[in-house]
Amino acid sequence: MPFDQALRFASIWLASTSFIGLTLGAGLPEWLAVLTGAALIIALLRNAGGKSVGQLATHTLMSTTGWNLLVIVGFLGFWVDMLWVSGELLPAGVHFLMILMIIKLFNLKLRRDYLHLYAISLVAILASGSLTTDLWYLPIFLLYLFVGVWTLLLFQLTKHPEEPRILTMSVAMRPQPLASVSQVTPQFFWLANGLALATFGLTVVIFFTIPRVGAGFYQKGFGENIRTSGFSETVNLGEIGPIKRDPSVVMRVELSDGPPQEAGRLYLRGVAFDQYDGKAWTNRLNYRRAVSEDAVGTFVLRSSRSFATPRLGDTIRQNILLEPLDTPVLFAAPLVERVSGKFPSVQSDLTGSVYLPFPSSSRIEYSALSRSNPVLPEDLSAEPSVYPESVIRHFLQIPSQPERIAVLAKEITHTQRTIYDKATAIHSFLTHNFRYSLDAPLTEQDQPLEEFLFTRKTGYCEHYATAMVIMLRTIGIPARLVTGFLATEWNEYGNYYVVRQQDAHAWVEVHLPHSGWITMDPTPPSIESIGSGSPAWHALGRMLDTIRLQWGRFFVQYSAADQLAVVRELKAGSTSARNKAVDSISTLFSPFMAMFGGMAGYASKGMIQSLAEVLVPTLIGLAVLLWLGIRWPWVKGMISKKTTRDEQVIMQLYGRMIGHLARKGIAKLTAMPPLEFVRLTQEQWSNAGSAVASITELYCRARFGQIPPTREELSLAEDHLRDLMTLEKP
Amino acid sequence: MLRQSPSFLHRMFRYRSTSVTSEGVQFLLFTMAIGIAAINTGNNLFYLLLAMMLSLVLISGIAAEYCLRRLEFHRHLPDHLIVNEPTTATLVVKNQKSQFPSFSLKLFDISDGRKLDRGLEIRQLLPGISQLLSYPLVATRRGRLQLDGVCVGTEFPFGLFMKQTYYPINETVIVCPEIRPIDERLLQGLLAAGPDQSVHRRGHGNDLYNLRLYHAGDDSRKIHWPTTARTSQLTVRETEAEDQRRAVVYLPTVAPVSHDALFEEAVSLTASIIQHLAHRGYMLQLLVGSSRSSFGQGDLHLLELLRMLALCERCSPLAESVVPKEPSRDHLEVEGGAMIVVQSWRGPGDIKPEQPTILINGHLIAGASHAV
Repeated sequence: MPFDQALRFASIWLASTSFIGLTLGAGLPEWLAVLTGAALIIALLRNAGGKSVGQLATHTLMSTTGWNLLVIVGFLGFWVDMLWVSGELLPAGVHFLMILMIIKLFNLKLRRDYLHLYAISLVAILASGSLTTDLWYLPIFLLYLFVGVWTLLLFQLTKHPEEPRILTMSVAMRPQPLASVSQVTPQFFWLANGLALATFGLTVVIFFTIPRVGAGFYQKGFGENIRTSGFSETVNLGEIGPIKRDPSVVMRVELSDGPPQEAGRLYLRGVAFDQYDGKAWTNRLNYRRAVSEDAVGTFVLRSSRSFATPRLGDTIRQNILLEPLDTPVLFAAPLVERVSGKFPSVQSDLTGSVYLPFPSSSRIEYSALSRSNPVLPEDLSAEPSVYPESVIRHFLQIPSQPERIAVLAKEITHTQRTIYDKATAIHSFLTHNFRYSLDAPLTEQDQPLEEFLFTRKTGYCEHYATAMVIMLRTIGIPARLVTGFLATEWNEYGNYYVVRQQDAHAWVEVHLPHSGWITMDPTPPSIESIGSGSPAWHALGRMLDTIRLQWGRFFVQYSAADQLAVVRELKAGSTSARNKAVDSISTLFSPFMAMFGGMAGYASKGMIQSLAEVLVPTLIGLAVLLWLGIRWPWVKGMISKKTTRDEQVIMQLYGRMIGHLARKGIAKLTAMPPLEFVRLTQEQWSNAGSAVASITELYCRARFGQIPPTREELSLAEDHLRDLMTLEKP
Repeated sequence: MLRQSPSFLHRMFRYRSTSVTSEGVQFLLFTMAIGIAAINTGNNLFYLLLAMMLSLVLISGIAAEYCLRRLEFHRHLPDHLIVNEPTTATLVVKNQKSQFPSFSLKLFDISDGRKLDRGLEIRQLLPGISQLLSYPLVATRRGRLQLDGVCVGTEFPFGLFMKQTYYPINETVIVCPEIRPIDERLLQGLLAAGPDQSVHRRGHGNDLYNLRLYHAGDDSRKIHWPTTARTSQLTVRETEAEDQRRAVVYLPTVAPVSHDALFEEAVSLTASIIQHLAHRGYMLQLLVGSSRSSFGQGDLHLLELLRMLALCERCSPLAESVVPKEPSRDHLEVEGGAMIVVQSWRGPGDIKPEQPTILINGHLIAGASHAV
């Protein structure tokens, strides 16, 4: 492919990449996206279709003046858009940018036009960077980088020499460039990609080393906060239901003590509620106090030393990456003992919930140490227990419900002797006799709890938890409803729990006289939550999530603090730095290593079919890419075929000429060089001399100079041979 | 290692220079704008774009450096040049790198510290391959043309910067004065003066010069049979040389500064006369100031005379102490032959004439415009 044509292709691809980026990020109006897409396709076709399409387009399209007028109209439209339609600068600017791109795509004539197109595409990719932080920006950026390098390279190589100037001391004569160095060859392909790869490597290095100076006057967060529900002071029964269909990731939780033995369930406690009015839960113990800071950034909520009884519960250390939510609640496994993070302060209420002073507008990372309360042997005996007055006042409140809930509770627990046994009996009753469904329209009912318990017997976590709390309270056992998230999706590639909106959950905390608050969850496992799709696709999704997490951590959220941390690590010693580097590399490659490990696991479980669904297309895709990379048929094919074909043509012509001359009595000896043979021919048959010399020259160029003849030269050589055939030798 | 570093750095940066192209200026402006936007917003994706653009700048420098490294140049020039007469110079460029090709090379001659664009470009030079470039070279001044080296630049890979480096190849070539056609009247004067000043001597020709006795080794075909018969002694016939015409061309070098251009005209005129007379077979001697050549003929002698003219310099009459003494007329007459004097200045009272004055055997060739 000639450089000129390759440049046009690369330029249009560059514009296409930025257009895709902008479309994904900004959500362009459909008409504009379609229009720009169509313009790009037409431009590509014009470039690929050769002269016929080009001429057709030239005839059908407007003149330059028309396009200039269109630019003015577009500029006026930009003002109208900004003032009345979009009402904002950025969307209006993006729309205008696309209009400019369309106009420029139809006017790619001068090199200046190409430069304009590059500037437009750069601004477009910049705009998409300001509109999104999603993972898709990464492949778009990489594509832009590679195509950009190709474009700039071709733009430079197609730069024609300046016009000869009259010089003081010399008269210049320009050498004609060889045709073979104006073609995209396989060597050029590897050169361009090598440069692009080097550019990418340097980009990464520079990105991590550029000092982050947050001195701007237009600092902004990264997108809007995720709307969630169930974590305010008052929560209506059934409020969590709608968000349980939302798969947005709200947090990722790493366990410092390594992955769980089996990907089990991890409760992430948010807010606890003490008052229920028949339709809504309220937290009346919401007075928040500032938590004392033990060390810099470490806040201690309760110390195990402060308890008289020995705390035997398991500790859970978690590192939590919380997406920006519209609630200030800090989630952690129950019950939180200490929280560490880059927070100015942390607050806690009387139910043990942890808060930030205000919701964070960006992703935050913190670690928490939690310790669950084990059920002590004293609570398993039948001795009567006395609760503190504060517990009785807040956690035995029941709404004015019909007696039949109390009757039901007593009926279930009358055979049980201990508090714990009674709680377990109610838990078991709810788990085994009710059906989980998100489609329970209980919110509209006057008495949703009764409707759930006695009529529909179908509901979701809030109904189960509320029913259990009320039933426990009717028989004098203090209990409270807790909302939070139930993490079940373990990402084996990144070694963390992925917690989504749909994992929002409600459960119960029961107060045992000696053990304290213990967690009980009466909600049966959801059949709906198992989800559809093959495990292989889920595995792929988890791997993508890991990459997304790394993208967020290392690119989107990379900050001056991270740079300082790296510097500190470097100062700490080369060994430590080396270990860190090894760790980082391990972290980077861990998804792939885990994927291979997972493949073996799948294979051993007989899930080869589902694995094949992912693997086969992936392997085929990789093979195709590899083949394209090595062979690059559309270029090499064009070049080699063209070269071979043209070479073959001229060689055939030369062979025919030799044969014809031999018939005329001028035989070429094998050892005779071609030019010597020309001289001989000229001596013996002067009329044929010029034709023979012309064909021989082309033959020598192609055969020994690796310079393929052009079509015009071939046509001329054929004419010469034809003339030679008609000549009569004297 | 430490001792080697300075020399490495010296080699690395000694001859390097970089300039920004117009596209590069636009690129840098965009980079700066994105940098400001990144600092302003703290958006890491802006930093990513900024890093990409900075890395393109760095890659430009590195790739251009590789393009310009380890090139070898050989220049081939003729022995001498003549002012305003085009000649072909060749430059052989070899890429001595074992792996990397060089792209988009622009070559410039460096002469007297000036960069001269000969329009030489190489799109691609594969490793280990050499390429020969030829270009017409026209000198505009006589004297020594000093070519200091070759400056090679490239805009590869992205056309953002023009990086240049300098390869020293010192070469000096003598530029002879311009030779122009001689005016008809001057030509006639020269032809008329020639026979009067001829010196008869033996040589190749047809006219009889002498008869002498035959010596062993003489050409038997030259035996003069009538005399041999008459004297009964083998007698051979000697012929008179046809190229016996001699001329002394004298170019005084004393002239004031105001006559500088006229002096150059005189030098050019002298060269033209010498060239003309040499082609007519004259034995020539050239006097330039106090410098004197021997009498001689042939191309080599002509070249020697032209070199004398190429290197002669005007002497100011004020600095008489340093002015070489002019040869006397008597001395010239001893040597014989036509005496042609080309004067650019006739003395303190001389009003600047339009053209040099020509004296042949002391006679002024009045109004003769020497060139057409």
